Amino acid sequence: MPDQLEIDNLTVSFGAEGAPPVLDGVSLGVAKGEVLAIVGESGSGKSMTAMSVMKLLPRGARMKAGGIRFDGVDILGADERTMNRIRGDRVSMLFQQPKRMLDPTATVGRQVAEPLRRYAGLSRHKAADRVIELLSDVGIAEPERRAKAYAHQLSGGIAQRVMIAMALAGEPELLIADEPTTALDVTVEVQVLRLIATKRAELGMSVLFISHDLGVVSSLADRIAVMYAGRIVEVGTTDQILRQPQHPYTRSLIKCATLARELDGSLFVIPGDVSSARSITKGCRFMPRCPVVEEAHLHDSCDAEEPPLSGCANGQVSRCWATIETRRSA
Amino acid sequence: MLYLLRRVVVLLTTLLLVSFLVFMLPYLTPGDPARKILRARTGDLDLDPETVERLRIEYGLDLPIMQQYWNWLKDALGGDIGISYTSGRPVAGMLGSALANTATLAISALLFALVVALILGTIAAVKRGKPADSVITTITQGFVAIPEYWMGPLLVLVFALNMGVLPSAGWKGPLWMILPCLTLALRPMSYFTQVTRASMVDVLESPHITAARSRGLSFGETMLKHGVRNALLPVVTLFSVWLAGLLGGSVVVEVIFAIPGMGRMLYQAITNGDVPIIQASVVCVVGLTVIITTATDALYRLINPTVRTSHGTR
Repeated sequence: MPDQLEIDNLTVSFGAEGAPPVLDGVSLGVAKGEVLAIVGESGSGKSMTAMSVMKLLPRGARMKAGGIRFDGVDILGADERTMNRIRGDRVSMLFQQPKRMLDPTATVGRQVAEPLRRYAGLSRHKAADRVIELLSDVGIAEPERRAKAYAHQLSGGIAQRVMIAMALAGEPELLIADEPTTALDVTVEVQVLRLIATKRAELGMSVLFISHDLGVVSSLADRIAVMYAGRIVEVGTTDQILRQPQHPYTRSLIKCATLARELDGSLFVIPGDVSSARSITKGCRFMPRCPVVEEAHLHDSCDAEEPPLSGCANGQVSRCWATIETRRSA
Repeated sequence: MLYLLRRVVVLLTTLLLVSFLVFMLPYLTPGDPARKILRARTGDLDLDPETVERLRIEYGLDLPIMQQYWNWLKDALGGDIGISYTSGRPVAGMLGSALANTATLAISALLFALVVALILGTIAAVKRGKPADSVITTITQGFVAIPEYWMGPLLVLVFALNMGVLPSAGWKGPLWMILPCLTLALRPMSYFTQVTRASMVDVLESPHITAARSRGLSFGETMLKHGVRNALLPVVTLFSVWLAGLLGGSVVVEVIFAIPGMGRMLYQAITNGDVPIIQASVVCVVGLTVIITTATDALYRLINPTVRTSHGTR
């Protein structure tokens, strides 16, 4: 059975022709009812992947792909009307800063009602009732009062619950959650994650969950895709990724998430930064920050050519010469 | 409610203060007011001292200054704001008709400017970086630099003299309003367009627009429901500034098109030393300005709920 969402060889670039793309040949699939997490540092291309699926990329973005298909519908070739329809009740999205995602001049109720009026065809009155139901359904106390509130009167947690209510109003088949808990307090974060998990189970929807935090993802995801500098560097089940990470970048992320300490007691950080990695055209993009390149004596191959995504028998794939080498010699 | 009360107190205080300053104005300039009045009426430089003295007593100019102010204020509150030195007619009537003409001109010019600017500004913002944006931006930037004393005669030349379709001057009906309105509207229209474009670009790039699109709203629907209102705030502010400014009368346009409005009346009153008109006009314009500012503030709170709660009316 084909995946519900298929992304095939997606490339997104900005600015001048020939500028290094922000997404470079990304292929992913999300099965029906599955939670796929995309993990990586800021700037690795996670959000761009999400926005490409919604076809809401920022101005000036150029998108090329072998194809993006949702439930058989060709997203890449779809016109605006078709996309509006899909965004309206089949694919919904959550964002990082919920308060900024609400119109400061419109009440919460009006905004939650919009997809109901437009896509569920409810009357003004029925939509207003449904808004209250939806709000209380996502655990908002005093939904009548909140429906009349404006964004600036809400806390971040409540605002994200409002966004969730809005996203789930059309009972979508796919929820794209782009760092939905990053801007929230830790205690609120747990509540919101639980809410998303509960709703997923209730509605049986698939989730594309984007986060920079492996810890957040591990409780929710069935599978994890790790991105680095516009590339997918490793994909596997949550178990595989957390227990047997193949790519040194994944291992570094896990060390960060577990607050691992260096020998001198300082917190572990990945040296260097991701910003320049996208412009590396030859060799492995992670090499400048890679901890294994020295010990593995693979300098030549890492420098010469980018490793392909290659897998082992259990379906886990990664993009590292060292792993390929180990597998070959085993 | 408290807010409204506070604004009213501010309004009254401002008016009182301004009225006093304005009243003092003729006394701060050198020369004897009684003589100035007579000179304004007769144009005669060689004045009979007896006539001067009689006028001084008639107008109460011999009383202490605070007494004079008090009398003037008392009369003004009763609706009597004096008699014009030159025409001998009550100032109230003159001011009323001049203000009506000026207000008609200013409001129609600014509304026209606003409508055009909202359309042009939105187009420019949506098409930013494209040819339509460049054309609109360039033209409006050019219009800002065109003064009314140049635009007015040009319009008269084209539409009145060459084509003969519109009257060149006078104030007799809607047809007479078109050219002065256009002349007056051009510069505010350009400013409004530029501000609309800028605030619209801001709104277009704000996250809540993306969020609205992600709920399945079309681009047009998103703009109508979540764009325009947000983009309107700075334009409303600018509109009120222009309205307050233009209610004082546009001397240039009123003189060019022979419109009996505030600007021309005030201009003539100043050249003739017609103090009661000056006093009444200035107080009136200041009062209107304060009222407009207050009204804008109230409107702002209506459009933008963030302002509303900052005064603790959650």
